[in-house]
Amino acid sequence: MTDLIVQGLSKSFGSNQVLKALDLTVPSRQFVTLLGPSGCGKTTLLRMIAGLEKATAGEIRFGDRRVDMLPPGERNIAMVFQSYALYPTMDVARNIGYGLEVRGTPKPERTEKIGAVAKVLEIAHLLLRKPKQLSGGQRQRVALGRAMARRPDIFLMDEPLSNLDAKLRATMRGELRRFHLDLGTTTVYVTHDQLEAMTMSDLVVVMNEGVVQQIGTPEEVYGKPANLFVAGFIGTPPMNLIPAQISNGMLAVAGTPIPVPLPPRAPPDVVLGVRPQDVAMAAPGDAGAIPGKVWMVELIGSERLIEVEIAPKIRVTAEVRASHRASIDDAVAVRPDPAHIHLFDPATGQALTG
Amino acid sequence: MKPWVAAILYAVLGAITFVVCFPLLWAISTSLKPKDEIFRWPPTIWPENITFDAYRELLFGGSVASAPGAGVPPSAYFLTWFGNSIIVSIGSTVISITVATLAAYSLTRFRFWGQRAVPYIAILGYMVPSVIFVFPMFLTMVSLELTDTLFSLILGYVCITLPFCLWLMWAFFRGVPIEIEEAAMVDGATRLQVFRQIVLPVALPGIIAASIFSLIVSWNDYLFGRVFMNSMENLPLTVGVMHFFDGTHVDWALMMASSVLMTLPMAILFGFMQRHLVAGFGAGAVKG
Repeated sequence: MTDLIVQGLSKSFGSNQVLKALDLTVPSRQFVTLLGPSGCGKTTLLRMIAGLEKATAGEIRFGDRRVDMLPPGERNIAMVFQSYALYPTMDVARNIGYGLEVRGTPKPERTEKIGAVAKVLEIAHLLLRKPKQLSGGQRQRVALGRAMARRPDIFLMDEPLSNLDAKLRATMRGELRRFHLDLGTTTVYVTHDQLEAMTMSDLVVVMNEGVVQQIGTPEEVYGKPANLFVAGFIGTPPMNLIPAQISNGMLAVAGTPIPVPLPPRAPPDVVLGVRPQDVAMAAPGDAGAIPGKVWMVELIGSERLIEVEIAPKIRVTAEVRASHRASIDDAVAVRPDPAHIHLFDPATGQALTG
Repeated sequence: MKPWVAAILYAVLGAITFVVCFPLLWAISTSLKPKDEIFRWPPTIWPENITFDAYRELLFGGSVASAPGAGVPPSAYFLTWFGNSIIVSIGSTVISITVATLAAYSLTRFRFWGQRAVPYIAILGYMVPSVIFVFPMFLTMVSLELTDTLFSLILGYVCITLPFCLWLMWAFFRGVPIEIEEAAMVDGATRLQVFRQIVLPVALPGIIAASIFSLIVSWNDYLFGRVFMNSMENLPLTVGVMHFFDGTHVDWALMMASSVLMTLPMAILFGFMQRHLVAGFGAGAVKG
């Protein structure tokens, strides 16, 4: 069981700094997701942990073993690639057992381990097939099998579900989580899909522009976003981020006072964040409700999204029951739930906490 | 496709096939005719009396070793020339493929100055007619005292086949996803193991295509053999068979039998490797 410790890790490609003095500690047996938009450095970080990219500065440790100077094969990691990267000329059995083969594991032991892994992954009937004879889901399992066969210290997964269709992706999410719970191996998982991050992880590391924005449980990054980036990135539909003013100890949005406790030393201009699920529809003139006009209505299954323009170019989305009817240009009002309001400093982007 | 379009298409294809195949069929036919039938007018398309005399003379008519010295008939050199052609074709192909494969791999996998320009410069070099190279190369061979050696021919053929082999392998390696190599390295393989066990098997169709190209070019070459070689026992087959034409008289039966025998190795090779050849050139064409 191995902790993963990353200290002051930086990476530059020419003048482009992809990772900026990044610190990260992943406790043993945890499933950690690196989440962020394309180009945020999450895959680069994973590849550096794997040894496929050299760090410009900083160090990586697996427990008390420093590994950043070691080649990938000596780190005892296993990696599942986005494209699966199965060896096309080898059959499934040899694909799974290749890591054991190059490490000199005797054939009987190898065969036994391949059989055991194949049984767990339910691919025992595919062992003699070549990768091109497999479906996407089967290839995914073989890639997982290859990672599992060696009993590595750390599993690294680079968007392993992104090539699957939506239904299979949902199934595999559950299976991956199940395998992790059974094996208990420290896992670092890269994705840009927040649903994967929220459903599978013990810890989510939200990254942007090579910097860690927040590390926390899925509940924490969703419920207590550390800054404007996390607030806007986590959650579907995204959090409403509305300019607000503080005067005389009272918060106001578009001139409407909102009764919320304010943090000490809050600047006069702030950004109010509230999730669409925490915005209720009200009638114009209701106390604590911000008046406006319906700008757009979207049905998303059992819910309806109502976008209300409360000031020129400032819109608030409310997620309400699908039975709630509204038409474009209706005069309405929205009432943010004071218990779920987040305030941010627009200058620093950081959350203002009490 | 409409039937009349298909009919026209097949007629055109049939005509082209006939034009391409006729010389070979004529060579086979002539090689099997007795001497008096070869010059008969009107000519017979297929021999009335089949004889294998020409083949017998080429293959079992004695060798240079058994009857050295002046007055040895050119046909006695046939097996020697055949052997020479095999040695220089295989020798140049082995060198070309080894260098092209390693160079193309490094060009697609490592970053260094000029990395992008090399394949394009190589293919430009291939576009220059080899006749332009042959005399400077001859002078180089003279200064290296390599003329009239099989090694000089091997070097000459490497010079003309390497650029295209390099281009082909470069195009092929660009299509091999780097992730499979990274996966193997994560699995614990060394760079050499990755190359040998993962990359080479994947690149095999490309290697076969490039090998066949190199073999055909060096097997069929006349120019370099004509310029670089002068002693009878060192000639390649293409130059050697010209000795069946002595200025006043052409031994057509021997000439045609030699041509048929000369075609056989490449035809057999092509037959066995056709599938890989298409895959190899296809990969190069699509991904290059």
